[in-house]
Amino acid sequence: MSIFSKVKDRLEDLRRPGYFKKYDHKFTMVIDLDRCNGCGACVSACYAENNLPVVGKEECGKSRALNWIRIERYVEGEYPDVKVKFIPVMCQHCSKAPCETACPVYATYHNQDGLNVQVYNRCVGTFTCATYCPYDARRFNWFTYKREKPLDQQYNPDVTVREMGIMEKGTFCIQRIRAAKDRAKDEKRALKDGDVTPACAQACPTGAMVFGDLNDPESRVSKLAKSPRRFRLLEELNTDPSVIYLKRVMKDGRGTSEE
Amino acid sequence: MLNIKAIIYVAAGVVVFGAAFGIGYALNTYYSPDLDPVQPINFSHKIHAGDNKIPCIYCHIYADRSRVSGVPNVQRCMGCHKIIKTDSPEIIKLTGYWERKEPIAWVKVHNLPDHVGFTHKRHIKAGLDCKLCHGDVASMSRVKRVSSLQMGWCLNCHEKREVVNGKDCWTCHQ
Repeated sequence: MSIFSKVKDRLEDLRRPGYFKKYDHKFTMVIDLDRCNGCGACVSACYAENNLPVVGKEECGKSRALNWIRIERYVEGEYPDVKVKFIPVMCQHCSKAPCETACPVYATYHNQDGLNVQVYNRCVGTFTCATYCPYDARRFNWFTYKREKPLDQQYNPDVTVREMGIMEKGTFCIQRIRAAKDRAKDEKRALKDGDVTPACAQACPTGAMVFGDLNDPESRVSKLAKSPRRFRLLEELNTDPSVIYLKRVMKDGRGTSEE
Repeated sequence: MLNIKAIIYVAAGVVVFGAAFGIGYALNTYYSPDLDPVQPINFSHKIHAGDNKIPCIYCHIYADRSRVSGVPNVQRCMGCHKIIKTDSPEIIKLTGYWERKEPIAWVKVHNLPDHVGFTHKRHIKAGLDCKLCHGDVASMSRVKRVSSLQMGWCLNCHEKREVVNGKDCWTCHQ
């Protein structure tokens, strides 16, 4: 028994693509699809928070939009009894991320918070990570977008303005995580549940998104993650995403995301 | 015949090498920042912080509670200089700024790129002395940058002091 568990642990260690035996935090987002009504507040919040440029209609048509979070919609049935399903999809921060193995210059890696982070200064724009990403979460800067004179005051000073030729993706608002850690350090305490709220979760009017630390058994996220409605996107690919969805349950008791 | 050819080749080589060196040198001097730029007012840290022993935090008030240390506003200067040394030519310049209600366009000496999320607060709270990065400002009449402010220089210190997560990219980069 003990030998088996030891071997299993060892194998688990070896399979871990990060370089950490244990993450300091395992930041996770739980999205309750029962509450999501597809309003798109998370999308606009993300645009505002992360200095995302608005690329315009023509570039959007070439699928060059720079949205870090998008709302996928699935329409089921004909007009009178039509059912629309919404799934907000962002970077899933996979624990076994395909993009990390892909990058030739090690610009994307896992950090000690269980986040899949992108180093803009290292990125050379080979586009490999976007090809490997099964969730289509990565966005490429085809051009340098600059906001005009009065609007450049809107830029978030904690986030870089990316330039042409850089791959980018959702960060779980890492600048807010950093700020929360800073605050916690000032108050000489550990990071507690509810300290960090990404812009999308903050903007969500129905409170469908909950963000927290999965390593902390008392956090809202770890309680929600035990729900029987839990599922993760494309789990069969074994990417081990950090974003957990909760199924939407219809009147007849059928989950809509059961496909 | 061969000798002339060889001489021509060598001369051409020298010219090309010289041109490349010159262009490189010119570009380098053009793009490398001025270490001790001339400021609009000949402000002396030596007189203030050195001789009169005013603590850094008296003027750079945000250093222990913000990312930036804060360049003092004209009002802070005028707080003392309404009375002290009002007849000195530099102070007359300062009073001119004060009367025109115009901020002084100080030239930034320690300028970090946009993608560096350096914070003064964390470093001051960790008990580091300002001198460690800024040099002995109290003995400079015009501030000169003494540290390279390059990433390797940052990381050396982080490694030496065993900063928690000090070598993770996203601790500083943003």
